[in-house]
Amino acid sequence: MLDIEEKLKEIGPYVPEDDDDLLVCRCEEVTKGEIRKALHEGITTIEELRRLLRCGMGLCQGQTCGTLTRRLVAKELGVRPNDVTMATARTPMRPVDMGIGGNDRGKEADAEIGGLR
Amino acid sequence: MKTTADVIIIGGGIVGCASAYYLKKKGVKDIIVLEGSDSIGHGGSSRNGGGVRQSGRDPRELGLAMTAVQKFWPTLSEELGRDVEYTQKGNLRLGKTEAHIKKLTALKESCEAGGLKLDMISGDEVRKIAPCMSEDVIGASFCPTDGHANPLVATLAYYMKDLELGVRFFTGAFVDHLEKVHDKVRKVCLKDGTIFEAGDIILAAGYDSRRIMNSVGLDVPMTPLVDCALITEMEPEMFPQMLGTAAADFYGHQTRHGSFVFGAESGLEEYMEVKDPNDQRQQHAATLGASCRAIESWIPALAKAKIVRSWSGILDCTKDGVCVLGRPEEAEGLILACGFNGHGFGTAPAVGYIMAQTVVGEEPITDIKPLRYERFNEI
Amino acid sequence: MSVEKKELIVVGAGPAGLSAAIEAAKAGVKATVFDENAAPGGQLFKQIHKFFGSKEHKAKVRGFRIGQELLQEARDAGVEVILNATVLGLYPEKEVLVQQGDEVKHYKGDAVLVATGAAENMVNFRGWTLPGVIGAGAAQTMMNLHHIKPGNRILMLGTGNVGLVVSFQLMQAGCEVVALADAAPRIGGYGVHAAKVARTGVPFYLSHTIKEVEGTDCVTGVTIQQVDSHFNFIPGTEKHFDVDTVCVAVGLSPMAQLLKMDGIEMDTSTGGFVPKCDETGATSIPGIYAAGDVAGIEEASSAMIEGRMSGAAIAEYLGYTDASTKDAREKELDESLESLRQGMFAPKNRGKKIEKTDEGIDVSENLLTHGFVADDEITRFPGFRKQVKVHPVIECTQNIPCNPCQDACKKGCISIGDNITSLPISVEGSECINCGMCVASCSGQAIFLVAEDTEPGYGEITIPYEFLPLPQKGDKGYGLSRSGEKICDAEITNVRSSKAFDGTNLVTMKVPMEYIDRARFYKAQ
Repeated sequence: MLDIEEKLKEIGPYVPEDDDDLLVCRCEEVTKGEIRKALHEGITTIEELRRLLRCGMGLCQGQTCGTLTRRLVAKELGVRPNDVTMATARTPMRPVDMGIGGNDRGKEADAEIGGLR
Repeated sequence: MKTTADVIIIGGGIVGCASAYYLKKKGVKDIIVLEGSDSIGHGGSSRNGGGVRQSGRDPRELGLAMTAVQKFWPTLSEELGRDVEYTQKGNLRLGKTEAHIKKLTALKESCEAGGLKLDMISGDEVRKIAPCMSEDVIGASFCPTDGHANPLVATLAYYMKDLELGVRFFTGAFVDHLEKVHDKVRKVCLKDGTIFEAGDIILAAGYDSRRIMNSVGLDVPMTPLVDCALITEMEPEMFPQMLGTAAADFYGHQTRHGSFVFGAESGLEEYMEVKDPNDQRQQHAATLGASCRAIESWIPALAKAKIVRSWSGILDCTKDGVCVLGRPEEAEGLILACGFNGHGFGTAPAVGYIMAQTVVGEEPITDIKPLRYERFNEI
Repeated sequence: MSVEKKELIVVGAGPAGLSAAIEAAKAGVKATVFDENAAPGGQLFKQIHKFFGSKEHKAKVRGFRIGQELLQEARDAGVEVILNATVLGLYPEKEVLVQQGDEVKHYKGDAVLVATGAAENMVNFRGWTLPGVIGAGAAQTMMNLHHIKPGNRILMLGTGNVGLVVSFQLMQAGCEVVALADAAPRIGGYGVHAAKVARTGVPFYLSHTIKEVEGTDCVTGVTIQQVDSHFNFIPGTEKHFDVDTVCVAVGLSPMAQLLKMDGIEMDTSTGGFVPKCDETGATSIPGIYAAGDVAGIEEASSAMIEGRMSGAAIAEYLGYTDASTKDAREKELDESLESLRQGMFAPKNRGKKIEKTDEGIDVSENLLTHGFVADDEITRFPGFRKQVKVHPVIECTQNIPCNPCQDACKKGCISIGDNITSLPISVEGSECINCGMCVASCSGQAIFLVAEDTEPGYGEITIPYEFLPLPQKGDKGYGLSRSGEKICDAEITNVRSSKAFDGTNLVTMKVPMEYIDRARFYKAQ
């Protein structure tokens, strides 16, 4: 159980750093400063960060920035990187065109469009 | 660690976070929110399609939806200090067949009886509003006051504002059961053994509310249903409306960011076994394909849009399709806000406000009697 | 929608996936391997260097040849390999969604092995998104698979084995590597890999990391800066290099998405980085296995054994072998795997500072901080020996699991013993016949043949040489020290190439006697 109020007291207020403008998530152009600031405003998980800032939600789904974000979260919250849970993974593993995604019924598929029902 | 409060809210979703916010605004000092997972907004609050919609609502909850749109959404970003991306450009509910149009017309009439203005428009008028729609669309209902917002940000915006106002949040605080003291629900007992106590306990924990209320002898007839959604990479701006269809085969919108969020399914999801309603990962292998086909059939221009992610959530579907709100007579000290059936996001600000009113003993801003717990006793 | 049934579905045709498929197929399992790439082999075909290990681990064989052998073995075993097939999702009931061309197909397996490997980590410094900042693995793909030079002047960030090996390969491809930098205070990879880079004259900057990559549209330069023990920059220690490319080799992350999306239990002690699985790769869902880097980052050699172990377990799971057959096979494979996990670089030693070798010899500090063993340090290692007549000098000073040199010498001049991590000994009194097999067999290019006083005041050193153009007999140039410094004149007296040397050329240079123990590389005039 995490007492958010206590955690925020423990980590203190957000103090800007020189390199806060550095990109962390290049797909969605989210900076280190945005992430750090959010962590001092009550965000405590990568899941929440992704929802608030979209970091790790772009084309690569955090393949590149996942570990960067994790390190940043760990540092700001004063925990070990391994204690920071990585984001859930979801289908599709690689981005897929809507038109291709829908073409999954094989050659015998009927012409009916609009799902199974 | 102080474990007592004036009000404890079980569930750190948008309803719980909004309730805490309006409670603070009503002057309630000591509020605790308990979130079972590690993340705020872990359940339906972050998994829905973002619709802020009044059209198509059951008459019993239309008042909630209209109140939310009229009194809360337009000023929410300003109030919470964070852009929740509220866009009020209307809701198009599309039809391709005469049967669809008939269904849409009936929905329109039902909404109008509740005081909501809706237009029936032709296929060409649809394409004037949203040129990308398929030529197969022959008509639609259009509710100009509907819209959409960003549910992920909206939930966290309430949460972060709550923190500013001094609401105490605990995450990873999984509730095991409730306990009564002197015939009043008063104790919230966590799985880890911690016991919280408060004069009022708001239960807003999605489907898991059922298990929790069972511990004090209450039950709401509801089932957990797997529901799925997907998101594309960002695309040029195409249409600002919220979309739905008479066939109910998909719904969604283009976000401020440019990506499209659509909810759609194969029809098999509802038969998936939900072993643990708190494990929101289940997806059906048929969902992606069926969803893509449904979306493409209405918006052919999206064939090349790349899907980057899909997800699922658990709907808390009640027997009669609408939520349960208010104080159940059998359990003093407990206030219910659950059973939103997958369309609780748009009404959440109003529900949160009503929760606050309920705690402080005000008359609700809109009538919630039809949503009371006791209605299931009358069957 | 139609679902095609498969017996074993393997995701990823890299070393782990192919090995598992082969092992299972040999027991009778019908195995199907999907890979998103146009060619199978995973990272193996990018590995143009010789592998470490012992014979059973295919030591001294170049990675891409191991890939070829593995593919042939897969074909012989009847493994079905489906390429250009991207697995999009893993679903309940072991169903996979596979994108093949412009359609998506559904397959179900009785067993599924996920062997999706790993992706490169990144660090974000100012300018990290500029074109020209690339992963070291990406550089390898460009060079070794597509024959494209990644850049002309390159700085490498990271001195793990990937950083070291790729630096060497970049030079082989004709790029100039200006420096290697690492925020850590010590080189992370094998010393022999570092030494072969250092002796060409490339400087190592430990406790240094990138301050900034410069450029507007592409990389034009890079500034590195020293960091203290807390990884904070030390003012005034900036070093600037004009480069057009920066390679980043700062570790790998398992690509465990498929496992996660299926709800497989992840190892919470790693924050859900890798799946929870037993030694055969069995995950929390019966019938779903993980092998190779996706289950924890290691070498390709380990991945191949892990794959075999999963394959053996799957064969039993599917009823093709009995438990005792499986156990016997697992035991054999486990021993082989364990032998690779010994020595200074064993997983259990990660992050530890090792002061002495197993033999009790002080490790070379210079090797860890500058990439080469200092002249006064090399003499304390058992591979170094003084003798007038030609003899091997083995500059292998760390306990790593590798022993092909011992097998290469038929005359018993090199001894490692049964423990493959022991330091090689240049055996006193043995009769070297100057065949050069040891020089070519050493994956670390750490063996030299030294002959003193071949003519008055001169001696000869035979070095491994894997660059173009190849020096010719009679060429005159310089002898370079272990740090790549020009220390003397040198003349090429012999150049040997042979199929048995597998691409490693043996270049013999004549140097003045006072440099016989110091000159370790040749540079043309």
